[in-house]
Amino acid sequence: MLDILSLLDITFFLLAALGALVGIVFGAIPGMTATMAVAVCLPLTYALGLNHGLALLLGLYVGGISGGMVPAVLLNIPGTPSSITTTFDGFPMAQKGEGERALRVCVVASLVGGLISAAVLFLFAPLLAEFSIKFSYVEKFLIILLALTVIASMSRNMLVGIFSGVLGIWLSLIGTYSISDGGNGHTRLMFDFLEPYLFEGFSLLPVLIGIFGIATILLEAEEGIKGGLGGKHVKFGKGGGFSFGIFRGRLTNLVRSSFIGTFVGMLPGVGGSAASVLAYTQEKNLSRDSDEMGKGAPQGLIASESANNALTGGALIPLLSLGIPGDSTTAVLIGAFTLQGIQVGPLFIPENADTWYVMMTALVFANIVMFFLMFYAIKHIAKVVLVPKYILYPIIVMMCVVGAYAINYGIMFDVWTLLIFGVLGYLIQKVGLEVAPLIIGFILGGQAEIYFVKSLESAGSYGIFFTKSPIAVVLWGLIAASVAFSVIMSLKSRAHRRMESPQ
Amino acid sequence: MSMPSICKTLGTSVLMAGMAFGSAAAMAADGPLRGNVRVVIGSTSTGGDTYQNSSIVADALAEHLDINMKVDAVGASSAFRFLDRDARGNTLMIFHDQSYLGNLYGVQGYDDIFEKYTIGPTVAINPGNAYLVPKDSPYETLDDVIAAVGNGEEVRVAIQPGGVSEIGFSALKNAIAIEHPGMEDNLVAVNTGSQADKNQQLFDDQADMINGTVQANEQYTRLPEDDQKAMRFLWLTARQGTIEQAPEDGLGQTTREQLLQYVEPNVSVPMGNGNNFTFDKEFFFLYNKDMDQAIVDQIDQALAEIYAEGEIQETQKNSFFIPNFKPSDEAAQYLETKMSVYEDIITNIQ
Repeated sequence: MLDILSLLDITFFLLAALGALVGIVFGAIPGMTATMAVAVCLPLTYALGLNHGLALLLGLYVGGISGGMVPAVLLNIPGTPSSITTTFDGFPMAQKGEGERALRVCVVASLVGGLISAAVLFLFAPLLAEFSIKFSYVEKFLIILLALTVIASMSRNMLVGIFSGVLGIWLSLIGTYSISDGGNGHTRLMFDFLEPYLFEGFSLLPVLIGIFGIATILLEAEEGIKGGLGGKHVKFGKGGGFSFGIFRGRLTNLVRSSFIGTFVGMLPGVGGSAASVLAYTQEKNLSRDSDEMGKGAPQGLIASESANNALTGGALIPLLSLGIPGDSTTAVLIGAFTLQGIQVGPLFIPENADTWYVMMTALVFANIVMFFLMFYAIKHIAKVVLVPKYILYPIIVMMCVVGAYAINYGIMFDVWTLLIFGVLGYLIQKVGLEVAPLIIGFILGGQAEIYFVKSLESAGSYGIFFTKSPIAVVLWGLIAASVAFSVIMSLKSRAHRRMESPQ
Repeated sequence: MSMPSICKTLGTSVLMAGMAFGSAAAMAADGPLRGNVRVVIGSTSTGGDTYQNSSIVADALAEHLDINMKVDAVGASSAFRFLDRDARGNTLMIFHDQSYLGNLYGVQGYDDIFEKYTIGPTVAINPGNAYLVPKDSPYETLDDVIAAVGNGEEVRVAIQPGGVSEIGFSALKNAIAIEHPGMEDNLVAVNTGSQADKNQQLFDDQADMINGTVQANEQYTRLPEDDQKAMRFLWLTARQGTIEQAPEDGLGQTTREQLLQYVEPNVSVPMGNGNNFTFDKEFFFLYNKDMDQAIVDQIDQALAEIYAEGEIQETQKNSFFIPNFKPSDEAAQYLETKMSVYEDIITNIQ
């Protein structure tokens, strides 16, 4: 034990704190992600040694995931793909003048999610790794399908919502079924002249930023840009209308979403956006006041942010217990281990106990630092809404363009993607389609395809989706319940509207 | 120290710093390769062997030439595109045999590199390309697999199609076609993606054998047989001479002696005319066709000097790479010959 304490010097904690701070900045800039933060800083760790390097990288990871909440709430632009569901309730709250309150809810939920996942990682990593390998292509496909059911439950008009979701899936399939995913590498759903640009399809982040950021600005421009984003009503000062009482009656949501985030994080390839969408789906299905969700409800923020931060501990489970990265950021972390000559795999924890404890310390410390940095700085960050729109929006457009250009290390087509989807986002709102289902379809469509095709290839019949394992049967039960809930809620709300409307 | 002394000391320091900076800048500006150099790689992973090896080489080159050099993991198709656009020499590419195997397998986005680009020097080999079976598999050796397939048994092999992962599979299929003509279709490819996917196929009993690497799978070979995740090496595609150059301790707890059990002549994959198939995964530079020949020569010379110093070899060996420097001309000829051998195998089984 003393050996481990000797590794935890002041530099270790300073690096973890620095990582969290830099990560928050990366996450908060549209187009920059936690993965990018870790990848950019990876070379710095060569000179640091393994433990100090891990402190920096884990700080970046936690900060990068958390920072995404800032533009999601204040600007309606998901800073990272996993903060997509934070926009659904965060931005409406900001529009109501509750931006600071919304951000504080997000910060507390993120801390709880991060700590719960760290505890799960510490106590059950090898056990859960054994469980995660029971999730093959079929089970992963069903998880994605379960997440997709949110499309039905969150649509104002179910038919329009489902159409928008399917449109999103269709857009996600443009490009190739990559050979690196076991596909045939052939292009589809495009004209020949577009092949050089769309070979790998549309990049996710430019699409997200375009549909949310640019489209919002276009809609605002149409109205005539005058003041701030409702900044006049934002409560600044002590807490900005926030009190911990907001979590009363929502602890179940907080804990459940944290566990969902941890669980999805430990399934390699499924990813953070699926984690937050799944947690949001479950809250939407189980919340007593689910009608409020999507209109500025704190429970939506709690679900989304606790789940996406819980992803951090979850994604480290397969990395440290199987040598398999749980998401793109932990894939970069493998680089840090490899460059230090450490093999991650099923024997990593028993053979590297010191490194294991050091990682746990860094993870918990980074979460606490993230909390203090964000909780107390949020008052100042939230003042962005006081900046007049005619100053703020051009800056946002510039940041979006720079972010889009930087995502894939300088591909101009990503900037065009941003602009195309900005205009598309504007148009689909004008014609009455729904943005949220479309984007969820886009995020999850590619994964759904891979797992669906691979399931069929491995079994040769559709029966495998029902007979593969007891886990598959349970997942079908959850999918059926989620769809049934959506239909019942839709019928209820229609009946309610009919009763309220005058004859 | 008096005031004039301080001034003198400071003045001298500034002068010396200026001279040092001046000479460094002059050194940097000496060669045709100048400014910021971006080394794109054919992989999107910063955790894989391509990134690791490219980092080692780029760091050594940057230090030797006193220029700024950065490795970007942009993936194969983006890397080729970036290379196409930059004839100035500010974008270089490092990739491995997949750059021509992708073309031989007809994968979209892979052109004939020997025609379209200038082949640069080879720098290292990753000797770890491997095939594994579950620890409780009935197949004790690769001969067992060949015999079983020859007897009509279906053996499923999880690979990532179109490259390094598939060439061993193709060679095995070719060997079965030679030894048991007509039975080769019983060796079935299960097309998957990442190493995680391939492992999962084995855990899930959807594959009988997987392509893996010594680096990624060695720990699994140390698990007890009753563990669902336990695996066993059956075959390393590397040449015997390559593994013989690996550190004596091997990797993890698998020594070089143990690794040698899985390569020729202990494991043989016939490819006709009395020859056996082997495959070393080699990393090399690729350049824009129109890039100044002076830059090609400069990098060749710099690498020759770096390898002559001997330090880089130690770094590479510590990371389980086998140093393998060949200057551009030699590398181009060597790789083209290597490519034609594999072209024959792929043609034979089509």
